[in-house]
Amino acid sequence: MSFFKFKDYIEEGDLVLAFISRGTIKPITVTKGALLNTRYGHYEHDKMIGLKYGEQMGGEKGYGFIHLLHPTPEMWTLSLPHRTQIVYTPDSSYIMQRLGVTSGSRIIEAGTGSASFSHSFARAIGLDGRLFTYEFHEPRYLEAKKELEGHGLVNTHITHRDVCNDGFEIEVPANFGTEVNGDVVFLDLPSPWTAIPHLPKVISKVRQVGICCFSPCIEQVAKTVEALQQNGWTNIEMVEVAGRRWEARKDMVRDIKDVVKRLKDIQSRKNQGIENRRHAKVIGEKRDHSEVLPEPSESSKVQNTGKGFNPFGKGIRIREGDEQFQWRNVTKIETEVKSHTSYLTFAYMLPERVE
Amino acid sequence: MVKSKTIITANQHALIRLPSEGLKIVELRSGGTISLGKFGSFDVDAILGYAFGQSFEILDRSNVKPVKSLAPGLEDGEGAEEVAEAEPETEGELSKADLTSFFSTNAENNQQIIDIGSKVQSLTNQEIDELKKSGASSNIGQQIIEKIIAGHGGFDKKTIFSQQKYLRRKQQKFLRRFTVEYIGSSQLLQYYIEKDLPRVLDLSEETLGLILNYGNVRPGGKYLLVDETGGVILYAMMERMNGEGTIVLAHENEHPNHIALRYSDYPEELINQMVKPINWLQFLEPENEKIDLEILSQEEIDALKPTKQVQYEKRLKRSQDINSVIDMVQAGNFDGFISVSTLHLPSLLPEVLPAIGGSRPIVLYSQFKELLLETQHSLSNDKRVLAPSIFETRVRPYQTIIGRLHPMMTMRGFGGYVLWGTRVLPQENITAVGRGVSKKKKEESVGVESETEKPKEEGKQEVEN
Repeated sequence: MSFFKFKDYIEEGDLVLAFISRGTIKPITVTKGALLNTRYGHYEHDKMIGLKYGEQMGGEKGYGFIHLLHPTPEMWTLSLPHRTQIVYTPDSSYIMQRLGVTSGSRIIEAGTGSASFSHSFARAIGLDGRLFTYEFHEPRYLEAKKELEGHGLVNTHITHRDVCNDGFEIEVPANFGTEVNGDVVFLDLPSPWTAIPHLPKVISKVRQVGICCFSPCIEQVAKTVEALQQNGWTNIEMVEVAGRRWEARKDMVRDIKDVVKRLKDIQSRKNQGIENRRHAKVIGEKRDHSEVLPEPSESSKVQNTGKGFNPFGKGIRIREGDEQFQWRNVTKIETEVKSHTSYLTFAYMLPERVE
Repeated sequence: MVKSKTIITANQHALIRLPSEGLKIVELRSGGTISLGKFGSFDVDAILGYAFGQSFEILDRSNVKPVKSLAPGLEDGEGAEEVAEAEPETEGELSKADLTSFFSTNAENNQQIIDIGSKVQSLTNQEIDELKKSGASSNIGQQIIEKIIAGHGGFDKKTIFSQQKYLRRKQQKFLRRFTVEYIGSSQLLQYYIEKDLPRVLDLSEETLGLILNYGNVRPGGKYLLVDETGGVILYAMMERMNGEGTIVLAHENEHPNHIALRYSDYPEELINQMVKPINWLQFLEPENEKIDLEILSQEEIDALKPTKQVQYEKRLKRSQDINSVIDMVQAGNFDGFISVSTLHLPSLLPEVLPAIGGSRPIVLYSQFKELLLETQHSLSNDKRVLAPSIFETRVRPYQTIIGRLHPMMTMRGFGGYVLWGTRVLPQENITAVGRGVSKKKKEESVGVESETEKPKEEGKQEVEN
């Protein structure tokens, strides 16, 4: 298991993302003797070993299944234990694209938070790049540190630090270069404007450096823009990202002609009912349903509900897409939309002069 | 020569951003001069050695000097109150004092504005043209702007905000400034969006970012790609992969179109090493398309005429290339499938899926949501793609001026849609919860077996037959 390379077979000790259902992905470390319990059955870790990544696995009791997925930053984002609000893929992917994060980039990230974005950064910058991430909350720092190490993110260095007060300067580990020398900065902090003045000491002096400040409130943006201006950042622009997920659905085609036909059918049956009742009164016999209800025609199963012509399946539960009915393909937006994540304030810093 | 991503370097392409928001791609030939049309021209050597991202102003005789940004003073939203605050002034630049004097008189609101059309401006177009001709000097742009403002009968009746906007528009028109940027994939895409939006199939920068992240594009990967944008996606993937890994490029012509790579400055060997083209005929009917060339011994080659020898070597190389990419496709196990195309995906996917490795991403772009909708429905019974969903991402830019922060009034309505799913390996004889178990369990399950009105997204436990 690695965030830098896919592998094909599951081994003991691997991080596997058990896809149980949409919205329920459970990260597990494959451990001999362990059992994964879900509402869709129980799964023995022992039996996962040797299976292929992506394989469907049946439950112990003969029903239910899960899929065993290889971790990627995007899947991890959907499954990770939240410590803080996380940066979702529409935001993180745009920030990386706009700031030109590629293999070899040197990133400064504060704070680490749930380390969701850290995984995405680490994957994109590859083994040639370096990620310096800072977290001021000690328990979160400890959890994140353990997680980053456990996930083999060897290009990532986490520091327990309040960067707003104490800046970004650190003793850089041996294989991380002589100094931080960042070329991309991401600040997800309550008051980024207090951290911005500390940046000149840790960013590249030979190339353009890009920054993104991630703040939920517009007041924070105003203060951030001011601080960026005062500290020599240019091309300041704030944007918002709206990410949406669409569901593919089917909507029944309900022809007005069928509506009319059904109304006529109801009417005629009603008339027939009155007729029959009158007839029954006269003769004084018990009503015979077999006579009352006309046999539904063979040709249309749709109408075979025992209640006459029923083109839209009224009164019965119909599976969306049931072949007995006519459908059109439609999209529907997810029930709850993330209407606001945060404001993204971008800016750039140029070196004084390169000769 | 290794290209530089950070420093403006000779014999490499670069993006030029103009005050008019126009974009140009130029090749920086050492000793050459680059013309920016009405903005003037500049010597390439004068900009070399600065960092990418640097802005310049054109001086006399194609000389340049570095400046902080494309638009002075107001660029980063400094209001008139702050205008007086000193920033070291450079000669010839529209100084803050100048700006202050422009803005010294203004109105509270637009009550006094009366639209009298072009009559409000006493300076004629002819006079402006003469001014332009009169000086090649750097500050001619500012002089013109000053004259235009002086000649504007209603300038002092505008509010300060509107004065600033007016000035900015004039700067866009007359300032002889430009910014030199590295052509990253975002810059390349922006360039095509400006020049030829249909070529990039309406793709936006944010959607490109989403494709690359969902596609898990990283150094060392082996990807299968369909790219109908003329190589913009390929360019972006190569940028992220930084020379490591392989992209098998499936295409529908005799030769792949990746013309965008000409701006990449990648050596041809690197492109050949990373990009393996294969057409769909070779992809779908590999057994007929493999080239079985009779291999000649060295003596036999030597015996050939020189022209025949060259021909033989060419054919040998071609057959090796084609056979190796066919082998690669047959071996499968790709690290992801990315498609940015107009092909009919419901018919394409079943052909492609077997080649994609387990747990790898499937990322399909279309400018039309309806095409992805059809694709997603076609996958509803194909258990090889897990949790396919259609995603949309849109960036909304703001006017970023303190005190006047608001979303821009207009933005381009484009960007396309992305269907993202994961290739999985379904097993036989798997029973979903809800099938073949007791009624109680059936009720607990939200499986499709029970007749619900909303089947798909709750139908987690579907049965694979």
